This record gives sequence, C-alpha cells and structure tokens, in this order.
Amino acid sequence: MTNNRIVDHPVLGRLADRKEITFTFDGTEYTGYEGDTVASALLAHGIRTLRVHEESKRPRSIYCNIGHCYECRVMVDDARGVRACLTPIKEGMVVSSGKGLPNPLDASIPPEELPRTYQEYEEQSKEGKGDTDA
Amino acid sequence: MILMHDVVIIGSGPAGLSAAIACRENDLDVVVLDEFPKAGGRLLGQLHQEPTGEWWNGVKETEKLLERANMLDTDIRLEVSVYHVEKVDDTFNIFTNKGTLEAKNILIATGAAESAAPIPGWTLPGVMSIGAAQVMTNVHRVKVGEKGIVVGVNVLSAAIAREMQLAGIDLHSMALPAANVITGDGSNPIKVMDGLARIAHLAPSKFIQFGSRFARASAFVRNTAVKFFPPGGVKMWGMPVHIRKAVTAIHGEEKVESVTICKVTTDGDPIPGTEEEVEVDFVCIAGGLYPLAELAAVMGVPFKYIEELGGHVPVHNEQMETDVEGLYVAGNITGIESAKVAGAQGTVAGYSIAKHALQDHSLEENITNAMEQVKTVRANASIQFHPKIDQGRARVAQAFEVNAINSDK
Amino acid sequence: MDDMIVCRCEEVSLKNLVDTAEKYNCSAREVKLRTRAGMGYCGGRTCRPAVDAVLENATGEKPRNDVPLKVQPPVRPMALSVLGGNDRDDE
Repeated sequence: MTNNRIVDHPVLGRLADRKEITFTFDGTEYTGYEGDTVASALLAHGIRTLRVHEESKRPRSIYCNIGHCYECRVMVDDARGVRACLTPIKEGMVVSSGKGLPNPLDASIPPEELPRTYQEYEEQSKEGKGDTDA
Repeated sequence: MILMHDVVIIGSGPAGLSAAIACRENDLDVVVLDEFPKAGGRLLGQLHQEPTGEWWNGVKETEKLLERANMLDTDIRLEVSVYHVEKVDDTFNIFTNKGTLEAKNILIATGAAESAAPIPGWTLPGVMSIGAAQVMTNVHRVKVGEKGIVVGVNVLSAAIAREMQLAGIDLHSMALPAANVITGDGSNPIKVMDGLARIAHLAPSKFIQFGSRFARASAFVRNTAVKFFPPGGVKMWGMPVHIRKAVTAIHGEEKVESVTICKVTTDGDPIPGTEEEVEVDFVCIAGGLYPLAELAAVMGVPFKYIEELGGHVPVHNEQMETDVEGLYVAGNITGIESAKVAGAQGTVAGYSIAKHALQDHSLEENITNAMEQVKTVRANASIQFHPKIDQGRARVAQAFEVNAINSDK
Repeated sequence: MDDMIVCRCEEVSLKNLVDTAEKYNCSAREVKLRTRAGMGYCGGRTCRPAVDAVLENATGEKPRNDVPLKVQPPVRPMALSVLGGNDRDDE
C-alpha cells in the first residue's frame, strides 16, 4: 500500500504519533490520522482522483488545496459538494467521489433515456449515469 | 436573543490573529472565523531560511500567535465559511454555513488566492497550484508525488520548491509556463530575469546567489545573461532552474504522466524542434498571488487596481479603515506581501477597531506605533513579492483621501 | 493550445473565449455571460485573473478600478437549507 507520509523532516522534525482514523472512500476502507483532511488522507494512499467533471466526466483532483477552487468536491455521509481539502476525516466517515451528471444537451444520449421528472434525474445522478469513470 | 459581538474577524491568518490579540488586549468581544480546519492561514505552511541563516517556520510562528490568543480567551471558530456580509443600520450581519453572526465591526482578513497560469492539460489530477503543494507538504506532511516539475519561476515558487526538496520530494526542475495571453510576463524570460534580479537583494540564502550575479548589472548584461542562459539551467540547491525553457503541455489519461518542455527565445516564444518529453507524476503551477477581496466587494467598498499590490485592492487608509464605517481590512487582501507584514497590519487594524469600539482616543499612540512597525517590517522583509510596494501603498492611501474628500462634499 | 481550458469549473477553453469575443464583438462582461467563464462553482476565484487577461487582449478593455465582474453573494456555494435557515448565533 502506498504511503506518502513525510515522516522525518530536517527542519520541521519527526511527525508526531497521532490517533488513527478509519473511513471509507467509494466503498474501500482507508486509514488516516487525526488532523488529516479527506484529501490529505487519500493522497497519502496515492489516490488523486476525487471526482469527475459533472458534464465532461473528466477526472479531477485537488487544485488549490485551501478551499478556493472547489475542484475536490466529494460526498461526505449525506452531504454533496463537500470540499475534501477542508474536511477533517472522522471515524466511520463515508466519502464518495463526485459523479458525472446526465447531460440533457449531450446529443449522444437518446432522448428516451433523458430524465423526465426530477425524481428520474436524481436516480440517474445517483447511478452516475453517463459517467465513464464509474 | 442574538449576541452582538464587538468585532467579527474573517480569516485566522497572521493578520486576523494579530488583530484578534490587539482587540482582546482591550477586552473586546471578538469572534475569529476561518474555513480551514486549522488556525494560522497560509502562515502555517511557510518555511524558509532568513538571510541570517535562521529558519522562519510558519507552524512555530502560528503556535506563538495562538498561544497569545488563547491566553486572552479568544473565540476562534474553524471550519466556518462566510458566504455573505451585509450592513443594516450600524450592524454587520455575517452569514456562514453555521448560522448568522452580528457584529458592530468586522475585519476582513481573507488573504490571497493564486492566479492561474493555464497550460494545456492542467485539469488532470496531479496538477496543482504551488500553494497546494506547500500545504500538503508542510501542513499535512504528505508527499504530492514521486517526481514533479514546478511551472513558473518567481519568489513564491522558488521558496516552495525548496520546501519540497527539504521534505525529500524529487523535483525535475523549475521552468516557465508556455507563453499565451494569460501567462504574460511570467512566460517572458527577460521579464522573469528582471523580477529575479530585483528581489535578489531581499531574497533568502541561495536565491541571493542565484540572482545577485545579475542584480547590480545593467539591463544589457541581464539581457545577455538571458540570451546565454545555460541550457542545463542554473542550479539552485542542486535543482535546475530554467528561464529559457517552458512547459507547453501536460499529458496523461487519468492523471499526470509527463510534460512537454521546449526551449524558448528570449521573448518566450517556443523554438520548434526542441520539444522533449519528461516523465513526472505531478506538476505545480505558480502563477502568482492576488488579493482575495470578494467580501469587501460584496459590501460595496471602493476598489483600486494597483499592479504593485497584486491586483484589485479595497481602498483603505493606513489605519486599515475603509469607506464603510466599522469595516476594516488587513493582510494580503490589501496587497501581496509577506506574512510578517500581514501580522503587523493586523495589529494596526486591531487597535483601530478597539479605538472605534471603545471610543478610547488614548489608543491613538498604539495605532501610531503599530503603523511604524508595519513600515519597519516591510523595509526589513526578506521576501517581497512585488517591487515598488511603497508606491502602491501610497496610491491606495491617496485614493482613500480622495474618496473621503468627495464624500464630505 | 487553443483547446486549453481556462475556466475549470465550466470547462471554457481559450478558443471559446476568443471566438465569442470576436463573433459578438462585445464587452468582457458579455463574453463571460455567454460562455459562463468564471461563473461556475468556485465563483471565478481560480480563473478570474486569467479570464480578465484573455478578455483584455480580445476586447481591448483595460483593468478598471472596480472589480471586473461584479462579485455577488453568496461568495461560497451554500445548500438552500443553509440559505433559507434563520439560524442565529444566540448560544
């Protein structure tokens, strides 16, 4: 398993022992440390992609890492659009990657498959329909 | 019953914390808000060697500020995002994701954001702003990758490249962003060399050795230096720094796999046939900083575009007051400078707020001393982002006077 | 290079911006409204200076003293439940 922790540092010193915290990302269990954000804990395991662009479905990761760019939006427990770079991990936290959305303007989707009600739209979003990454 | 605070401070960086300390010393009811899970703002990640050889460690500096703030029982609330501020009569309403606060005064100390220097492929996972790498490396202590390249050669990117090296992260080199209408001066070797030469006398340790060879040289010598810049780059801490090479594209399917680097003319135009592909798994883009002033804009504070200060800044005076009574600004929102200057400005703002809240004119002396301190810190700053800071500051102060005269009419 | 994305949130390319400015021969503000550059999730925090640079070049408009595209609240995206709530700080 990848471990990208900077344990020893010539000026900042050795990383202090911290409490371990377990959470899941897209169904897989990961361990991080107290003080980690979702983004830092995942990157420590070599995971970069946190979401796909809603329309183009292209993969995205942290860009600014301080809450400005909103590129690292994930779903945390039941909340959507949560910035992974600002969210401290908590024991048992359920994180899932940001998914693509059905695109009503995409000509490649046959009209009969487009959502007709908001409920259908929500269901398709949950399935990550049209999401090549899922 | 809604609590009316004397002051709500938005941002817990060096400016916000220093202001909070000055306000608490005068026993004001203060709340500090920040959306990051740790207090300290971007001071947290900073780590560089002063010309004296001493290390400036942002984590330690933050601890000192927090210790003082906590001794004074300062109410600091983290993970709180402010999404709107309004003023109704004499009350500021501060809207956050965790409810609304009311205050008689507010200090907006939201710091800076990074300007993008877009390159084809820059949305791929593994491409990040240079500041993102700093936070990951020094705050979270997580490596951003195995081997990377820094795009953009300036005082900020050089400092953070060094920080990554210290953390054992392998950097291939630093190079310019490919020239386009956005990257502008940052992709022009002569302009980049001018910038490096101008800061050389102020910049820390190795940066001096790199730039000072050309610092006192004439423009002709500098241009010649650009013309004959070594193809292998100039080594800084053993890492090649290129100002005659630019990164023209970033490649990868699901994440960064490589970049294309190309030689460029002294004007920054790519030289066809010189492209080479370099394998990297991360790319840091350093396009510079600009003042993050959205909340001041929402409040209707007048702005002025001052290039020397990094962009649009809310008009304010040396006491850190704005046109809106009770609204103060401090730190990088007022212009891009070092954390030390931001902290000193925060102290000025804190005393100004205390004077206004308590109507205590004996604080005048504290304000004057704090203003002097800002100048001293600025004059001694080892890191300066823009030349001609003083002229930029003078123009803002002048704009404030002009606005004040006009509103009296 | 033309296909290079400038606004990441809305995936607006350099070509989109330049073509729109040319086709409609319009103000920087109108280009932003037409392409949605700078109007996505992040509110333009990431690309604002970049979009302004492209549009200054394309439309000849110089940076003015006021912030180029008016900043509107909310400056952070908020759930409607947060915006609608009247959750006052009364602890």
